[in-house]
Amino acid sequence: MRRQLAMIAAFAAAYALLTAFVDHSYYLLMLAVVPVWATMGLSWNLLSGYSGFVSFGHAAFFGLGAYFVALAQIRWGLSPWAGIPCAAAVGAIAGLIVGIPTFRLRGHYFALAMLAYPLALLYVFEWLGYQELALPMQRDNGFAYMQFEDHRIYAWLAAALMVGAMLITSLVERSRFGLSLLAIREDEAAAEAAGIRTLAWKLKAITLSGAIAGAAGGFYAVVLLVVTPPAVFGMLVSAQALIVAMFGGVATLWGPVIGAVVLVPLSEILNARLGNVIPGIQGVVYGVAIIAVILLAPEGVFWKLKDVMARRRAPAARDGGPAAAPATAAEPAREAAHDAATVFEVLHASKAFGGLQAVRDVSLAVRRGEILGIIGPNGAGQTTLFNLLNGFIRPDAGRILLEGRDVVGRRPHQLCMAGVGRTFQVVRPFRRMSVLDNVMVGAYVHATSDDDARAVAQEALALAGLTAQAGRLAGGLTNKQLRLLELARALAGRPKLLLLDETLAGLSAGEVEEVIALVRRLAARGITIVIIEHTMQAMVRLVDRFVVLNEGALLAEGLPGEITRNAAVVDAYLGKRWRLANA
Amino acid sequence: MLEISALNAGYGPVPVLNEVSLRVGQGEFAAIVGPNGAGKSTLFKTISGIVQPASGSIRFEGRDLLAVAPAARAHLGIAHVPEGRQVFPSLTVRENLEMGAYTGAGRRAWKQNLEKIHAWFPVLAERAGALAGALSGGQQQMLAIARGIASSPRLLMLDEPSMGLAPAAADEIFERIVSIHESSGLTILLVEQRVAEALHFADRGYVLEAGRVVLEGSHDELRRNDRVRQAYLGM
Amino acid sequence: MLQFLENFLQALVAGLLTGSIYGLMCVGLSLIFGVMRVINFAHGDFMMLGMYAAYYAFGLLGIQAAFGASAGPYIAALLAGPVIFVAGVAAHRLLISHVTGMRGTALQSEGHYAQLILTLGLALVLQNGGLYLFGSTPVSIATPLASNAWSVGPLYGDRVEVFVNQGQTVAAVIALAVVLVFVALMARSRLGKSLRAAADNPEAATYMGIDVARAHRLAFGFGVAITAIGGGLLASGVSFQPYVGLEYVIVMYAGVVLGGLGSVSGAFFGGLAIGLVQQMSTLFLPNQLQNTAIFVVFLFIVLLRPQGLFGRAMRRT
Repeated sequence: MRRQLAMIAAFAAAYALLTAFVDHSYYLLMLAVVPVWATMGLSWNLLSGYSGFVSFGHAAFFGLGAYFVALAQIRWGLSPWAGIPCAAAVGAIAGLIVGIPTFRLRGHYFALAMLAYPLALLYVFEWLGYQELALPMQRDNGFAYMQFEDHRIYAWLAAALMVGAMLITSLVERSRFGLSLLAIREDEAAAEAAGIRTLAWKLKAITLSGAIAGAAGGFYAVVLLVVTPPAVFGMLVSAQALIVAMFGGVATLWGPVIGAVVLVPLSEILNARLGNVIPGIQGVVYGVAIIAVILLAPEGVFWKLKDVMARRRAPAARDGGPAAAPATAAEPAREAAHDAATVFEVLHASKAFGGLQAVRDVSLAVRRGEILGIIGPNGAGQTTLFNLLNGFIRPDAGRILLEGRDVVGRRPHQLCMAGVGRTFQVVRPFRRMSVLDNVMVGAYVHATSDDDARAVAQEALALAGLTAQAGRLAGGLTNKQLRLLELARALAGRPKLLLLDETLAGLSAGEVEEVIALVRRLAARGITIVIIEHTMQAMVRLVDRFVVLNEGALLAEGLPGEITRNAAVVDAYLGKRWRLANA
Repeated sequence: MLEISALNAGYGPVPVLNEVSLRVGQGEFAAIVGPNGAGKSTLFKTISGIVQPASGSIRFEGRDLLAVAPAARAHLGIAHVPEGRQVFPSLTVRENLEMGAYTGAGRRAWKQNLEKIHAWFPVLAERAGALAGALSGGQQQMLAIARGIASSPRLLMLDEPSMGLAPAAADEIFERIVSIHESSGLTILLVEQRVAEALHFADRGYVLEAGRVVLEGSHDELRRNDRVRQAYLGM
Repeated sequence: MLQFLENFLQALVAGLLTGSIYGLMCVGLSLIFGVMRVINFAHGDFMMLGMYAAYYAFGLLGIQAAFGASAGPYIAALLAGPVIFVAGVAAHRLLISHVTGMRGTALQSEGHYAQLILTLGLALVLQNGGLYLFGSTPVSIATPLASNAWSVGPLYGDRVEVFVNQGQTVAAVIALAVVLVFVALMARSRLGKSLRAAADNPEAATYMGIDVARAHRLAFGFGVAITAIGGGLLASGVSFQPYVGLEYVIVMYAGVVLGGLGSVSGAFFGGLAIGLVQQMSTLFLPNQLQNTAIFVVFLFIVLLRPQGLFGRAMRRT
């Protein structure tokens, strides 16, 4: 953190110093404009880079900010010194208003809807008769109205604006806010299940992002002195914000700054030199830049450089073999809790998708400290049942009781806070985040501070035997480590009830034993566990009790010994021919 | 006919198949069984070219299959009936079959194949004009198999044809597969979780666990093996 | 009251005629989305290329001289199709194929946006490159039909009279014919069926022996070509410049989303409806807000009914 602050300060100082060597007013204007686009890139990055919700509409906030500053000065004589902070507020409010309906959309739909806002505003402002607004010159009292003879001051102010946006980004990035946004970007459903209130964080992000863009737009109006709808609401504004960030590197503090510092002068200079011969060269530069980045370095220049440097360093610092195997010697003795209180109860739950009855009138109860295995052939409805249990989907009928309270209709993050943790059949780590950060996401559910979250995460990692991998990117883990990581992430939320979806799938026999030992240790700590598997092998040695599903309905229930001898279960699993042939 | 040796494959850094070797002879009915996540579908996808192997070789009728583009493999006579049926839901039953007959061999033998298909699966004739997405699970599975047959394949690869089907529907599917094999002599490679059915009909079986072939043998050898029992029931 | 009726009928006629052309343009966009699941941001700019292709074919290639000023513009518009088809196939092969299809999915979540952003870059290059190639002065294809109209009426005892622009009518009829031919092609031909199969399930299509990369390339080529014909038909009615694509990209997306993303015939009716909204809005709103009305309708559609009003939500197995 301190190092980053120092770098930002050094960068700002170097930038200010640079202005001392420039006296051509055209280049000074460029020095004032570069930070504006860097700020826009940071604004875009704050929302789209971190959360993954790509916005094509940041011009809406920018344009509203610009028009606010211009109109406020013309109508009410409001100085930009006050106008720009107000423009930030306007941008924030616009962000919130846009965000509330638009976050109901995902992916392509979100991007398209965002595109429509600035274009609609563009026509509205033209219709209102604001084709060209000029800020009135204040010859006598320029300073009070942010008008300076010395154009250097614009560049300094612009740099200050950019530094402000960088500080905000830096604060966001290092906190629960940034981590939550990254988790949303990596896998929104998994984030929700890990206890993150996704909608709230997304709204905060778009509000903050709108505020920064509004301020940037307001300042832009002051620098250019003229505001026209195409210049502030036009497609190129949104595109430029996106392109400088993508070019430099998304989800990084320096990416948008690098992008703006490279691309803005390049396009401006080419435009000045060749603009007469080749009109539109500016747009071509941005277009070519973004095409090149997508094809050659899809994650941006920053990450590309980082990867290249990491590769150089890599051979030296390969991690030193597997972590010390977690101590399995002392297997805690655990009494299967046959008479403990019921923690979790499902009563007559049903769920259909179209014509397919995925879950059919299923009732089951889980007792405290128990390990319950839910098995059944592929497609028997286990995963749908889990999705009902942790709130991803609502049952069509039936009740779900957590410690006696009906929790139907609760969102996954609410259930997570109430003590329901889960893992996924297809491992869903946040791949671009470190192992520790992955687990911290889960820890924020109950943590009071970042330090607290880190401590809880480290404890969970130790429990899962992943301490040695804490600093690595989750994308590089082995299958077993990924399963353990998911377990650790769920554990960090301090669950009372842990839902494990095929945690043993794809593991070798030895690895299965390790994971089974871990699950046993968790149960010994009093965590109630429900685990889904397709095969009974290994499960018979793990669980206290089985529930067998077939075609979405309860086929049998009982102790492992009873289940393996149950004729109906054998039929569902191995087919009648097996029983006949082996009779 | 199909010969796989020392195949390693996976998604990104996660290896799924580990030194897998197997062979299927002309006219043979071979089955691969194993628990979920053992790598059975990945093996099929590698044969079809959707997954790129890290090392190893696949030869089909003596030809190096890895040098053939994925879409061209169907034209060599390999029909892959994928896991979960994967019919084209917005195409009609008839159009699905026509897509099966996209290969040159399939187009030339379209009439005869269609007759055979309708004899094996009369319901597909009845519902020729219905959208495939509107069929029941069992009917979709029949369509998926028929679509494979429509290409006039020399090797039919079936990936869990019983998945998600009611036992009665699954039994029906198995009966058809067996009668297709018996009446046409088509080479079949089957992946199944329903071990009994798979091993009952197959000439040869392979047990795949955690990406490795842990057991292989003839019909009788496998059915007598305790490990098979233990693996599937934990007995 | 009768005045309003006259205006209403006039707007209705204008809406249906422009809507047919919009419908054609939407069909092209929808084909690309349906088969490739790519949001083609540069679609409006391929339409712009189509307009200029028709414009130059009409003037420079001597179509005007050969077929006269009445039939010429329409022949030029149809010619724009094959020209832009080649451009589309080239753009796909050189750029878009690198981030879509099987290779796109390998890029995981980044691949999803990579396509969108790549086509944004392409849009910027086409718009601004167009400025260099074609200049910024608005042009249009001159046809005498555009300034002639049939009059319907007088109705209600010669108080109400509706004019039907001849140029627009011919254009709308051609647009309708192209849509019908294309829909028949998609429904009946082996190529059409293989494109639909690749759209439904690219993996299973590969198992059938369908080359999905080629299917995508053709879909992209056909998609931009169809829209280019639409643009060419529009070119004799409106004046245009290299940035014209931007105005239509939202019009087209509104139509496509209204028709249900991925449904080709739904897209035509979606485009028709957008044409009606645009023209009808002039009854209540000032002219400058025509496009704002479309954007607002578009926002309402995506927010309230993202699966579209016509056609069902496309579902991938």
